[in-house]
Amino acid sequence: MEPLELAPSPAADTDWNPLPPRARPLFLLGGAIWMTLSGGVAGLVLALLGSSRIDAIPRTALVMAGIGLFALAGAAIGLWLGHKAHRYTFWRLDGEGLAVRRGRLWQRETRVPVTRVQHLDLKRGPWQRRRALATLVVHTAGTAHGAVSVPNLDLEDAEHLRDTLGRQIDRDDD
Amino acid sequence: MTTDPEAAPQQVTAGDADHRLHPMSWLFVTVQYIKAFIVPLVVVVVFGRRGEGMHELWGLLGVVGLVGASLWRYWTYRYGVVGDALVVRSGRLERSLRVIPFARIHNVGLEQNLLHRLFGVAEVRLESAGGQKPEAEMRVLKLADALALEALIRHRGQAADAGADQAMASATPLLHLPAGEIVRLGLISNRGMVVVAAAVAAVFQFGGGNLIEDYAEQSARHALGWANGHQLGTGEYAFAAITLLLVLLALVRLLSVLLALLQFFGFTLSEHGRRLTVERGLLARWRTSASRRRIQAWTLRETLLHRLFRRRSLEVDTAVSQQGQQQRALRDVAPVATPGVCDALIDHLLPKGDWTALHWQSVPDVAWWRLFLPALMWNALLTAIVCSGFGRWGLLLLLWLPWSAFKARQHARRIGYALGSELVAVREGWWSRHWRFAEIDKLQALQLVRSPVDRHFGTATLRLDTAGAHATAPPLRIRFLPESEARELLARLSQELRRRPLRW
Repeated sequence: MEPLELAPSPAADTDWNPLPPRARPLFLLGGAIWMTLSGGVAGLVLALLGSSRIDAIPRTALVMAGIGLFALAGAAIGLWLGHKAHRYTFWRLDGEGLAVRRGRLWQRETRVPVTRVQHLDLKRGPWQRRRALATLVVHTAGTAHGAVSVPNLDLEDAEHLRDTLGRQIDRDDD
Repeated sequence: MTTDPEAAPQQVTAGDADHRLHPMSWLFVTVQYIKAFIVPLVVVVVFGRRGEGMHELWGLLGVVGLVGASLWRYWTYRYGVVGDALVVRSGRLERSLRVIPFARIHNVGLEQNLLHRLFGVAEVRLESAGGQKPEAEMRVLKLADALALEALIRHRGQAADAGADQAMASATPLLHLPAGEIVRLGLISNRGMVVVAAAVAAVFQFGGGNLIEDYAEQSARHALGWANGHQLGTGEYAFAAITLLLVLLALVRLLSVLLALLQFFGFTLSEHGRRLTVERGLLARWRTSASRRRIQAWTLRETLLHRLFRRRSLEVDTAVSQQGQQQRALRDVAPVATPGVCDALIDHLLPKGDWTALHWQSVPDVAWWRLFLPALMWNALLTAIVCSGFGRWGLLLLLWLPWSAFKARQHARRIGYALGSELVAVREGWWSRHWRFAEIDKLQALQLVRSPVDRHFGTATLRLDTAGAHATAPPLRIRFLPESEARELLARLSQELRRRPLRW
C-alpha cells in the first residue's frame, strides 16, 4: 500500500501527525460494529425475501445463514474501513490553527483558524480511557462545520491541542 | 427563563427592573396560547367527525388555566435598563434575573399583528447570536415603549460597539418598494405554490383524504356528464384541459401576489447609523433591525422569472437563533430590485468589498463534463429501465442528452469565483443564477474536499463555512478548482484568517 498520495502543502509538509497505533483497535471496532449490524439487517431482509422463492432450504436455516453471512461480510468491510480511517487520519497544529486531514478515497482537509475557535471539548469513552486516548472536538460559529472533531488522539496530544487552542481564545477576549 | 449567572454583574439588583409589560399583555399571551391550541382543536372537530359527544372540547378548560398563567406572567415580569444592559426579571417562585448587554444583541424584532395594532402595542424580541431561544421576548409593550427600547439598543449598543457615529443617527431610507414592485415580487416568487403544497399536505395529514377524493370524483362525474351532453371532439377536450391548467396556474400566481402584498407591503429598508432596519407588512407589521456588521453572508439571486422582469433579489444571513421564525430575522435586504439597485446596495453596505470591481475567475473547461456526468448516468439508467418495459422506443430518451450537455456547458461557463481583499464570492447557475459571497472576516472553518472523481480530474472543492447560513441558501463553495489552485487559496485564506480576529 502506498503511503500517502496527497501533494505536500507548501506551508509545512512534514508535520502532519498520524494517530497513535494503539488507537487502531478502536477504529477497527467502531467500523466493525456498525457494518456488522447493517450487514445483519441486510442479510435478514434478503433472506426473508428469498425464502418465499426457495423451498429446498427451511426458512429458519436460510434466515440464519443470510444473517450470518452478511454480518460476516459486513464485519470484514467494517474492519477494512476502520483500518483505512485510522491510517489516513492526520492532524497538524501550526501558526494558523488546527488542520485535520481524513480519508483516502474521499479526502477531506478541514482547517480551523485559531482565531475562529469558539470552544473545545475533550471526550473520553471507557475504551479511550483505558488506552489513554481522547477525541477532540473544536467548535466554531460556522453552520456546516460548526464542530470539527479529531477522533482517538493521544491523550497528551489532545490536551496540548486543547490548551494551545484554548489559550488563544483567552487572548482574543482581552 | 433561566438566569445567566456569569453575565450578571454584582451591582445589578432586582429593583433595577422597574418597567412592566403593557397592562393588556395577558390578553395577547392568552391569544397566542389559544391560537396554538385552537387550530388543532378545529382540525379535530371538523375533520375527525367522530360525532360521539364533544369530549374533544374538554381541552377548552385548559384555556382558562392559560389565562391564569398569562396573568401570572404579567404580574411577575419586569424589565429595566442599567447602563449598557437590559435587565429582565421574571418569576416569583423560581426567580430569574437576566442581564443582556446591548452590544450582544444581534437582532431586534418588533411585530404587530392586527390585534396588536388595534391596541397600539407591539411584541419585542431581542436575539443574540446562536442559541435556541431569543434572549428576551416581551409580549407586549406599548408601541412607543417598544420603539424607545429599540432606539436605546441602537444608540447604546453602538456606543459600546465601535465608538460614536451618532451624527448619522437619523434614518436614511435605502430602498422602498412601491406596490407595483410587490406585485412583481409575487409574480416572480413561488409563495403561492408553497402554500398550496402545504395546504394539500395538511389536508391529507389530518384525514381529509376522503374529502378530496369525494370532491375529485364528484367533479369528474360532473365533467363527464357535461361532456356527454355536449359531444365534444379531442381538440375541445385538450383545449378545456389546457384552459383549466392555465386558470389554476393563474390562481396560484394570484395567491402569490396576495401573499407578497401581505408580507412585503410598504417594504422599507433604512439605515440608522450602523444598523439596518426593515419595515414591512400589510395587516401585520414587522420591523426588524440588525447591525450591518452582524451580516454573515449574502445571496443574490436571479431566476428566469427575475430576468423576465429585469429584477434580482438580495438576501443576507444573520447569526441569530435558528429556531426563531424567518419572519423575524433580518433576511430580505431587497426582496426584488433591479440589478443596478442591488449592486449599488451591496457597494453601499460593503464599502470596502469592491463588489462591482471584483475580478472574477472561471474554472477549467472540464467542469462541464463533470456537471454532465450525473445526468448521463441517470439518463442511462432510465433508458435501460424504459427499454426493458417498452422496447426500442425507450431509446428516444437519449434525445434528452444533447440538451443536458448544452445545459452543463452553459452552467460551467458561468461558474466563477472571486477573491478580493475583503470579499470572497462564488457565482453559479444558468437558468437560475445566484451569487453567494461573504466578507473574509466572517469565514469560519475552511475545508478542501476531493472525491474520487475529483482525484481523477486533478481537481478539488473548497468549502467555506459562515455562521447562520440558512438551509435554503446556496453553499459558499468553489467547485472544480485545479488542486494546486485550491490549495493555494486555502493557504491564503487561512493565513488571512489568522491575521483577522473574529468580529461578530
